[in-house]
Amino acid sequence: MRIAATRTALPAALAAVMLISGCGIQQSGLEEGPEAPTGLAPGATLYFVDEGGELVAQQRDTGQLGSISDAVGLLLTGPGDSGLETDIDETTLTRVGTSVRADVVELRLPLSSSEVDGAGIDQIVCTAAATHIQAGGAEQDQVQLRFTDLVADPASCPVL
Amino acid sequence: MSEPEMSRHETAWRRGLRRVLGALMMGGLRARFVVVFVLVAVLGASAAAWASTQQAARSLAGFSQQQHGQNLVDQVSSAAPAVGYPPSEEDLEQLRDSAGDNALAVYEGASSSSGVFAGSQALGVTSAEMREAVGQAAGEGRAYTEQVVVDGAPWLVVGTPVMVTDPAGGRAASGVEVYAAQDLSGVEEELAGLTRSSVTTSALVLPVAVVLALLAAHTVLAPVRKLSTTARKLADGDLEARTEPRGVDELAALARTVDEMAESLQDSMVSMARMQEDAKRFAADVSHELRTPLTTLTAAVEILGDTLQLREETGQETADESDARESARLAITETRRLVQMVEDIMEIARFDSRTAPMHRENTDLASLMSSCIRVRGWSDDVEVLTQDAGQPYSVVADRRRLDVVVANLIGNGLKHGGAPVRVKLFSHADHMAVEVTDSGPGVPPEQLGKLFGRFYKADASRARSAGSGLGLAIALENAELHGGDITVENAPEGGARFTLWLPKQHEDPTCTGGAA
Repeated sequence: MRIAATRTALPAALAAVMLISGCGIQQSGLEEGPEAPTGLAPGATLYFVDEGGELVAQQRDTGQLGSISDAVGLLLTGPGDSGLETDIDETTLTRVGTSVRADVVELRLPLSSSEVDGAGIDQIVCTAAATHIQAGGAEQDQVQLRFTDLVADPASCPVL
Repeated sequence: MSEPEMSRHETAWRRGLRRVLGALMMGGLRARFVVVFVLVAVLGASAAAWASTQQAARSLAGFSQQQHGQNLVDQVSSAAPAVGYPPSEEDLEQLRDSAGDNALAVYEGASSSSGVFAGSQALGVTSAEMREAVGQAAGEGRAYTEQVVVDGAPWLVVGTPVMVTDPAGGRAASGVEVYAAQDLSGVEEELAGLTRSSVTTSALVLPVAVVLALLAAHTVLAPVRKLSTTARKLADGDLEARTEPRGVDELAALARTVDEMAESLQDSMVSMARMQEDAKRFAADVSHELRTPLTTLTAAVEILGDTLQLREETGQETADESDARESARLAITETRRLVQMVEDIMEIARFDSRTAPMHRENTDLASLMSSCIRVRGWSDDVEVLTQDAGQPYSVVADRRRLDVVVANLIGNGLKHGGAPVRVKLFSHADHMAVEVTDSGPGVPPEQLGKLFGRFYKADASRARSAGSGLGLAIALENAELHGGDITVENAPEGGARFTLWLPKQHEDPTCTGGAA
């Protein structure tokens, strides 16, 4: 009886030891992680207007996506000789401050609201939104423009 | 081997077996307790330890896996907008830098590596499945994680494609892949510590489990052993034995029941013994009290009978006196019978109280037989046959008692069977046999077993002619007193046959065979 008990106890103890010792980190298979990063692009996308006043996207081959400030700064320098127009008054100040909050991208512009007319606001909003999205931001995030004289309500780009 | 010897042998064997089994069970129960307790403790501790370390391992590994995956994605995401596309060597280097110390950035054959990816084991760091999954980057594109062992150390590898997103949100693979590896030795160390501590805890629990098991076994075994001792004492005749249990559990209840049983057993034994004693003493007292007046009566009646006899012989007898003589004769016969019966009852009482005296001496059965027959005047009716004439049939016996037995058997045959009665002597290896066969019709088979009963009379109508009815009972008691026996059967040629068996050597002189 004692021997029989030993016979049953031994495998049980062994199993227990094996259970305990089998607890370390094992080589594990492939597991899916979070969504892949993004942000690579050959250049920033800027929005200008054509003769009809419609928004038109134009990619500037800057070699990299760059930041929202960079993109909006480029937008402020105007369409150049691409044949497109802009509804934003020309300015030499292109320095734009950007802060990204929970679901709003806030831009501090070196412009007063009077310097922007027609589709100008949409141009800025869409350019900022496009870069935000290309850098991995959420598509439903809104853009809020802070002019030198007033702060506009958060808005979404009508063509995106 | 004779039958009693065999059964004695068997009993001893059984008792031995029972004792061995008992010892085994005693040890067995304790061993069983210990084994079960230890098993339960080990299993419980192991299961708890296993579950907790498994849980810890999962959460630690899972946490670091998730965390490192998200870290890489965040770092690459924040670095990517500033990285040129298509990437140059410097751009790849920049991406790799953003991914940490052990990282690899790949774009169409070009690559930049650091840390563990730069070493000789670089190829083993990422599995083929990982590279394939990252390279395909279907749909939205996802990061992947895996745990690998490089140079015996555990590493967590995160691999991810870098995506290109168009302004509308559509994603496509850029062809750039980034891998980062994280050393998990710290986590491993932590898990090993957990395992060690749980093994230690289990080991510490073991002696406690053994002690608890022994205590539990003791609480069961001690009362059982006590109970067993009491039962053994009771079985050996010590009716005073009690367990006197403490507590209120089932074993205590059992012990109490056993005590009650012993109590009532003792009571009934005592009262039974007293009753038996009373009955024996009563029989002895009655016979003793009867004997004195009977002796006087016998003498008186005999004198009366003699006087009447004298008158008849001298011719002075009247008719009334003749009747009186008949009455006197009848009175003498009956009084003698009464005296005989009282003697027999007293003898039986002596057997019952085991005070019958024995005077052993060397006795020749053949001469005892012939003198017994001659003295009683049975020579004409009895025929003695010996196996081998002249050979002494010698036994150690009480001559008087043996004479009583033989006379009883022969007288019985003459009285109830019929003359001639044949007596045969046999000498066997270790015993003598005396066979007494009468010439009567035999005994009805259903009465064979009752012949030796006290006051048994085969035929109620012959009650007056018979003796006391104790003759065969006394004969059997005497035979047993010698260590022998009397059997009865119907002889094949007719007539009842009684056989007296006597051992040649009396085994135990102190043993009186009164316990019939």
